[in-house]
Amino acid sequence: MAIVLLPGLLATEAGGQKRLELDAATLGEVLRALPVADLVLDERGEVRSLVRIYLDGERARDLTAPVGEKSRIRIVAAIAGGAL
Amino acid sequence: MGVLLLIGTRKGLFLIRGDDERRSFEVEGPLLPGWSINHAVLDPRDGAIYACANSWVYGGTVQRSGDLGKTWDRSEGLGLPEESELKLASTWHLEPGHASEPGTLWLGGEPGVLFRSDDSGASWQANEGVLEHATRDKWNPGAGGLITHSIALDADDPKRLWIGISAAGVFRTEDAGASWEPANQGTEACFFPENRYPEVGQCVHKLLAHPGRPGRLWQQNHCGVYRSDDSGASWERLDGNGLPSAFGFALALDPSDPDRAFVIPEESPENRVTCDGRIGIYGTSDAGAGWQLIVAEEPAWAAVLREGMSFDDEAVYAGTQSGHVYALRHDEVVEAARHLPPILSVEAAALQ
Repeated sequence: MAIVLLPGLLATEAGGQKRLELDAATLGEVLRALPVADLVLDERGEVRSLVRIYLDGERARDLTAPVGEKSRIRIVAAIAGGAL
Repeated sequence: MGVLLLIGTRKGLFLIRGDDERRSFEVEGPLLPGWSINHAVLDPRDGAIYACANSWVYGGTVQRSGDLGKTWDRSEGLGLPEESELKLASTWHLEPGHASEPGTLWLGGEPGVLFRSDDSGASWQANEGVLEHATRDKWNPGAGGLITHSIALDADDPKRLWIGISAAGVFRTEDAGASWEPANQGTEACFFPENRYPEVGQCVHKLLAHPGRPGRLWQQNHCGVYRSDDSGASWERLDGNGLPSAFGFALALDPSDPDRAFVIPEESPENRVTCDGRIGIYGTSDAGAGWQLIVAEEPAWAAVLREGMSFDDEAVYAGTQSGHVYALRHDEVVEAARHLPPILSVEAAALQ
């Protein structure tokens, strides 16, 4: 089971879950199975431009990347402060 | 009867409960922390609150609460069809549908799009008539983007409504959204070097239909204040007598008197602060022939955005970008809240 770690707002939208365990073969399958998939991915299934995905500590852009039993996926909101 | 004000801010939603006299107010919030609330409204048909919630990271959505903000459900699957080659950038205005159509909602968003839901927001369908409008290539985004920010329902006919898009103008449908006709005759596009009265391209800032007089519309435009008495077929300009500026965003009406309206002019498109160093609410009692100033506060250099003013049977309410909320009743202004985050929207509902 891959482990997914959600940041604050996504955790709130996922019913308070900061850590999820999902059974999936690829990174894309993991993200599409999230209860907040519509917030991480846009209507084309692409990762939103200010969302960063880290797979086992490395920035991941390829949604076909395989995930293992012990993969750790961290979702991070990009740094975008200053104007808000 | 008291009032429930729904205050959408850049940093969450606030609820303000006011007493019968509109003199005492209590603030609750923020609800939906982390979300920027472009607009929030209480559906008078079932008491649900809907919020156009946006995140600069996670995009735009709609949040629904059936228990006055204690719990929320997010609309999932809100997006534009692939063949449009467009993506939903943000949600801007939610309008509960006609009283005869429970569960029907209309939603405006960026880039110049309209959605309809017939299941209280559980699912949404993009309106193809707007998405594929023949004039779309002549629409241009304003400072807030290419946004559908005004949705006005006809009091009698659920198949007739108007939308306002910046900067595309006003459009009217008579067939529940199957087709849309531009309704901009007489409104100026003063930012164009030539042809200042085109079919489309006007920058409507806020459009409202009077709930008691079918066919009477008001709009605060980038280039003036206008009224229509023929369902938008033609517009009369109204800002020549008593208003310090033709520019502004906010607009409010009096549901019991179709000749009364309120605006909050700003200095100019280049200097978007309230005129003359004060927050001035200007009202007309003669359908826009003349306007009178009511000072909410001075000195002040504030701004009230397009969704920043609302009204009920008792009062007019305004929220500023500096986080203040004012209630205007019988020409008397009361401060309802201060030091909120920048206010994006104000809606008034009956307090049950």
